[in-house]
Amino acid sequence: MMDANQKPMLIIKDIRKAFGANEVLKGISIDVKKGELVTFVGPSGCGKTTLLRIIGGFTEHDSGEIILEGQSIGHLPPNLRDTRICFQNYALFPHMTVAGNLAYCLKIQKWKKDKIKERVEGLLKLVQLEGMGERMIDKLSGGQQQRVAFARALAAAPKVLLLDEPLSNLDANLRLLMRDEIRRLQTELHITTVFVTHDQFEAMAISDKIVVLSDGIIQQVGSPVEIYDHPVNEFIANFVGYVNFLDATIDTIDTETCGSKVSTKYGKFKITIEQNDIKTGDEVVLVIRPETISISLSNETAEQNVLCGTLTRYMYTGSLAKCSVNLGDREIIIDLYNPRDRANFSKGDKVDVTIPRNVHLLKKETSPGQKSD
Amino acid sequence: MARAITYDSRLYGWTRVKEFINARFINMLAAFLFLLLAFFLVYPIIAVLIKSFQGPEGFTLSYYKHFFTHAYFFQSLYNTLLLGLINTFLCLVIGFCFAYMTTRGPMALRKPLKLIAMVPLIAPPYLFAVSLIILFGRVGLITNTFNVDWEIYGFDGVVIAQTLAFIPLAFLMLENTIKSLNPNLEESAYDMGATEGRIIRTITIPLLTPGLLKAALLVFVMTIAEFGNAAVLGGRTPFLAPDTYTMITGEADFHMGSVLSIMLIIPCIIIFFVHNYLISGKKFTTIEGKPIASEPRKMSLLVKLPFIAVTFISGFVIFVCFAVVIVAAFVKILGVRNEFILAHMLDFRHNMAIYNSIKVSFIAALIGGSIGTLLAYVIVRGKFFGRTFIEMVALSGFALPGTVIGVGYLLAFSAPPFKLTGGILILALNCVFRFLAVGVEAGIAKLHQINIEIEEASSDMGASFIATFSRIVLPIMFPAFVAGFIYTFMTTMVSLSAVVFLVSPGYELAAVSIFNAAVYGKIGLASATTLKMIVIVILCMITLSVLSRFTKLDIEHKGGAA
Repeated sequence: MMDANQKPMLIIKDIRKAFGANEVLKGISIDVKKGELVTFVGPSGCGKTTLLRIIGGFTEHDSGEIILEGQSIGHLPPNLRDTRICFQNYALFPHMTVAGNLAYCLKIQKWKKDKIKERVEGLLKLVQLEGMGERMIDKLSGGQQQRVAFARALAAAPKVLLLDEPLSNLDANLRLLMRDEIRRLQTELHITTVFVTHDQFEAMAISDKIVVLSDGIIQQVGSPVEIYDHPVNEFIANFVGYVNFLDATIDTIDTETCGSKVSTKYGKFKITIEQNDIKTGDEVVLVIRPETISISLSNETAEQNVLCGTLTRYMYTGSLAKCSVNLGDREIIIDLYNPRDRANFSKGDKVDVTIPRNVHLLKKETSPGQKSD
Repeated sequence: MARAITYDSRLYGWTRVKEFINARFINMLAAFLFLLLAFFLVYPIIAVLIKSFQGPEGFTLSYYKHFFTHAYFFQSLYNTLLLGLINTFLCLVIGFCFAYMTTRGPMALRKPLKLIAMVPLIAPPYLFAVSLIILFGRVGLITNTFNVDWEIYGFDGVVIAQTLAFIPLAFLMLENTIKSLNPNLEESAYDMGATEGRIIRTITIPLLTPGLLKAALLVFVMTIAEFGNAAVLGGRTPFLAPDTYTMITGEADFHMGSVLSIMLIIPCIIIFFVHNYLISGKKFTTIEGKPIASEPRKMSLLVKLPFIAVTFISGFVIFVCFAVVIVAAFVKILGVRNEFILAHMLDFRHNMAIYNSIKVSFIAALIGGSIGTLLAYVIVRGKFFGRTFIEMVALSGFALPGTVIGVGYLLAFSAPPFKLTGGILILALNCVFRFLAVGVEAGIAKLHQINIEIEEASSDMGASFIATFSRIVLPIMFPAFVAGFIYTFMTTMVSLSAVVFLVSPGYELAAVSIFNAAVYGKIGLASATTLKMIVIVILCMITLSVLSRFTKLDIEHKGGAA
């Protein structure tokens, strides 16, 4: 969808920030293309909100540069930047009506009265709140307030939209709905957006590009697929979902037939290796997602990529069954989708666990550290 | 079988009495407390009301007629209300400037400005009367040095002294409201291109309106009721509070004294109800997110300058007022005979008065802390009809002018069957009921922090109501008791307007001694005793802040002991 050679619209260059002795951001660089939705995600305290506030101009950074359409804006106060923030608590002005909130920015920009009216009507329509212009803010539901906040941020067509955990005050169902709504509008309006969330699944669902932050550094930047399927370290692998790690050594590499071989404590596996920085003899960690593993009742025959173990947990949750299989000295977790149509498992069963060929590898020495894409 | 035994033991003997008490304990306690409130808070006010209508031949309106047909009284009423308005306006403006600077201004200025805005709290309000006399009196430092021909005795002097005295009250209330204001609101406006001035005008002030209004009402009530400054500095300008005092102690005219008291109380009652209505009324609600400490915005010089000017000038004046009082305490006559002496500090009668004040304050604190704690419990946990009414009565003491309470106690308790005047108890009791509000509010806050399930768990495990109350509730509420105790101690210590009616010769209180010394121009003596009072109040405040740190109980400071 996005032109790969397009020049970035927003460039964040080596941003550093410390609060006293506490270094919150240790050199952050990101490029954001026009119309792209980039998400900062990370555990709480990772600096993602601080970074967003620095882009918005609310917090001063210690060093680094912010460039919007070729112009450095890092030194400007928020009111002179063409970025618009939408706070987690919406920050709607409670003493004004919906229309008053939407018009605030336009009045500052000295729009003509009838133009403002027209624009406000347009915005209300955009977020499906037609006829609600005269309501006071506290007469709106949470979802409606969310929409007003979003519309208000869009009112004067800013160049970059900054969203600080905009969905965290909504209940679960509404959150999914608004998430899709924001994504739809964002794509439709083709507005460059920086989104902050601590919810990795929200990030996966909404983003063009995900920036995973932890301890003030970027752990990985990539599309949702890259982040989930090709995490650069154990932290990322763990962060975006449950994962089984298995230590292994590379025996042979065969890129032609996808028949590389690794040996582990539990036997030899045949796997596909696509990463070209892996050599024979390397110590690696296999990153195996629970849903990629399949299990069956044991038939006591040794097959390729199959481990034998005992089922220690079988938790049926409807769309999937969460299973744990004991391999003797450790357990592995398996997500069994569509469990209804599968064999009847019960606790204590001997089972065969099939490790997929297509697994992601991490080099052993890769400790959590910075890696740019 | 077991059931039958329980049944029997319930029916007969001591167990049954205990059961009876347990089941009704809270209601009995409530009734007892209500009687106390009625007797010591409501009855004196009613006594004033009755006296104002009671002529030699029964009901009469002649005293009121007298009030409204004499230009002097009308002038007094007019002056008082005008003083209230001007003071409120000035205190709000200055208080807002301080509050805005300490919450939104440059980081480096926040702490020092907060400190200076709070400083007047540690002194009795009439400190400013004393220091203004030192500076601008007939032999005042500035009057003499610069040959200023300006009469401090009069309306202007009272306005200045009162404004300085009530800055902390306005500041604290406004700072509280600004703090509770979500900084994201202002940041959003900033983000959308608004300048600092525009943010203040279109976002901050409109959102503060409820808080501003509440602060205004409170400051108004406090300033019109304040007695000391007006009495010392008023000169020939009539004000209701000191006129009431002269009417009663000078002319012994209790009827006119009562009428003046009623005139003083009417605005207070109106405002008290408006205030309560505002509290219960609409508040601007915003969705809570994670609280972000507001970062200072770059204020343009044009916006910054007025804030800096107002806060720095008033801060400087406050500083000077304190400084001259401290110096005057150790100097024979400051500005006239600048010799260092300790005579003021060592004055026997004044030290006796300090001792008496401490004794009275301690008694008041003990009673006030206990009643406040129990009232809070009854108000929060009770399920009987009229709970909010009790709460309202308990909190109303705060809004009642001390002068009126003083007159009321004099009328209600100076003759049998309730003869209390001349004793030490009456000096303590009037303060107990006037300053009950803080103890009650601290108790309510504490009780809201703890889940009722704690008490339910206790009774579930078999504890009787009284056992639960004494083993669970009282220990938990102890910090609230201490808060009420110290607050009552502090305010009783500096309180003047009510006790000035109730002291008897030979049992002087420090506040009254300062007042008399100031009136008779013994400024060194007044300064010395004020200084001692400041030290005592500071000690109380330190205890209070240590306590609130240890118990995580947010004790709201409420200034304004008149």
